[in-house]
Amino acid sequence: MAALIRGLRAGRALRGLGGVAVQGTVSLQCSNVRRGFHRAALLRLASDSKSDTSVPPPSYHEVHTAGESSSSSAQGESSEDAQPNTSFQDQSGEHGEDYETEEQLQARILTAALEFVPQHGWTVEAIAAAAETLGLSSASTGMFNNGAGDLVLHFVAQCNAQLAETLAEQNNQVQLGQAEAKKTAEFLKDAVETRLRMLIPYIDTWPQAMSILLLPHNIPDSLKHLSTMVDDIWYYAGDRSTDVNWYTRRAALTGIYNTTELVMVQDSSPDFEETWAFLDNRIKDVVNMANTAKQVQATGEAVVQGLMGAAITLKNLTGMNQRR
Amino acid sequence: MQRAAKCALRLDLSRAFCLSRSGTVLSVMQKSLPPPRDEEEKAMLDSMLRVDHAGEYGANRIYAGQMAVLGRTRTGPLIQYMWDQEKMHLEKFNEILGEHRVRPTLLLPLWNIAGFALGMILTRIEGTMSCTVAVEESISEHYNSQIQTLMEAEPERYTEWISIMLLKNFVMMKKKNRDTGLEHDAESVPGYLLLKTVIQVDCKAAIYILQRI
Repeated sequence: MAALIRGLRAGRALRGLGGVAVQGTVSLQCSNVRRGFHRAALLRLASDSKSDTSVPPPSYHEVHTAGESSSSSAQGESSEDAQPNTSFQDQSGEHGEDYETEEQLQARILTAALEFVPQHGWTVEAIAAAAETLGLSSASTGMFNNGAGDLVLHFVAQCNAQLAETLAEQNNQVQLGQAEAKKTAEFLKDAVETRLRMLIPYIDTWPQAMSILLLPHNIPDSLKHLSTMVDDIWYYAGDRSTDVNWYTRRAALTGIYNTTELVMVQDSSPDFEETWAFLDNRIKDVVNMANTAKQVQATGEAVVQGLMGAAITLKNLTGMNQRR
Repeated sequence: MQRAAKCALRLDLSRAFCLSRSGTVLSVMQKSLPPPRDEEEKAMLDSMLRVDHAGEYGANRIYAGQMAVLGRTRTGPLIQYMWDQEKMHLEKFNEILGEHRVRPTLLLPLWNIAGFALGMILTRIEGTMSCTVAVEESISEHYNSQIQTLMEAEPERYTEWISIMLLKNFVMMKKKNRDTGLEHDAESVPGYLLLKTVIQVDCKAAIYILQRI
C-alpha cells in the first residue's frame, strides 16, 4: 500500500515535470539532455523505493500508469512505462542498465516505427505499432507532439546522417590515398544517388511523406535538413567558395535533388534507371551552364579590353592624350 | 625538456608578435580556433567570422576603387602596397571560412559594388587618410566588442583568438597615431566631423546587417 502511494506521488511529480517540458518545445539539446537525466534520476529513486518494499503486481502497475499516460500528454509516463518493466524483471537488485534519455527512447521508437510504414503509412498508427513491439503501451504516441511529422523528420535526419558518414568515409579513403578523387559532376551524381536510394524501401508511401514535410509547421525543419544535406554534399565535393558561388551552387543542387526526388516517386522502370538518367542529365546541364557562364565572362572581358584599346587609339589619333 | 618548452613558447610569441607581416597573424588564428561545441557557439563563431570576412572583402574593394582613380598618380604605389596586404588577409579569411564551413554573407555582390564606389568617392575627398582613420576607429570598436563577447563566453577557450584580436587592435592604434598627423590637415575641412560621423554610423549599420544575413 505504502509502495503504491509512493509510486503515485512519483508519477504525479513526473507528470508535473512532463507538463513543463511539453510547453518548452524549442530548447537547446543540452537542456533537454539535462531534463532527461533529471527525470531518469527521479525514476531511479522511484524504482529504488519500489523495489525496497514488497513487490506490487506488475500488471496492476502497468495498467495504472497506462491509465495515467492516456489522461495526459506527459512525456514522463512512457519512460516510467519502460523503467519499471526492466526493474521488475531484474529482481536480483542489479540496476546495471543505463537509463536512457528521452531523446534516445523517442529515437528508438521512431526507428522501430519505420518497419511499420509500408503497412500503415507515415502515420501515428505506425508509431503506435512500434511502441507495442517495444513493450510500451500504444499511448506512448502522446510523446510525439508532431505525430507523423516526427516520424518523417526522424527518417530524413537518419538518412542525412548516413549520407554524411558515407561521404566522410570516402573522403577519408581519398585522403589516405586508397581511392581516387572523383570529378565534381560524378561525385554529385553518386552522392545524390546514394541519398535517393535510401528512399527505395519506402518509395510507395513517399508521396505521403513529402506532403507531410510540406505542412507549414514542418517546413522550417525540412528546409534545415535539406540545406544541411546539400551543404554536406558540396563540402565533401571540395567546394570551399566564399563568394556568391556558395549560394548558387547550393541552390542548383537543391533544385536537382528536389526534381530528381519527384521523378523518382513516379518512376516505374527497373531499378529506377530513368531516375538516374534524369539525374545525370540535370547535372550535365548545371555543369554546362557553369562552363557557359565562365566563357561569357572571359569573352566579356576580352571585348572590354578591345574597346578600351580602341578608345585609347582614338584618343592618341585625335591628340587628346597629350599632356599640355 | 624545459628549454624545448621555452623555445616553443618563444617561437609562438615571436610568431604572434610578428607585426611586419600581419598575414602570419591570421595564419596563427586559423589554427587556434577551437571547433565549436554546440549550436549556439557555432552560430556565434559563424556570425563573427562572417562579419570579419565581409570586412576584409569590403576593404579589398575600397582599395580597388581607390586604385582605379589614383592608380597612375603619386600615391598609386602606396595604395597598391596596402591593397596587397589586404589581399593576403582576404585569402586567409577565405581559408578559415572554408575550413569551418561558415556561410559567407549574402550581401557580397552588394558589398562588391558599394566598396568600389566608396573607394572611388574617398579619392575625391581631401584627406583620404583621415577617412581611413575614421573607418579603422569603428572597426577597432567592432573588434573590441567581439573580444568582449568571447571573454564573456569563455576566456580560456578563446585565449589565442582574443590575443590575436588585441594584436590587430594594437597595430591599428599604432597606425592611427602615425596618421593623426595627417589627420590634422583634414580637420581643418569644415565637413570633416560630419563625414566622420556618417562613416562611423555606416560601419555600425553594416556590421549589424552582416552579422544577420
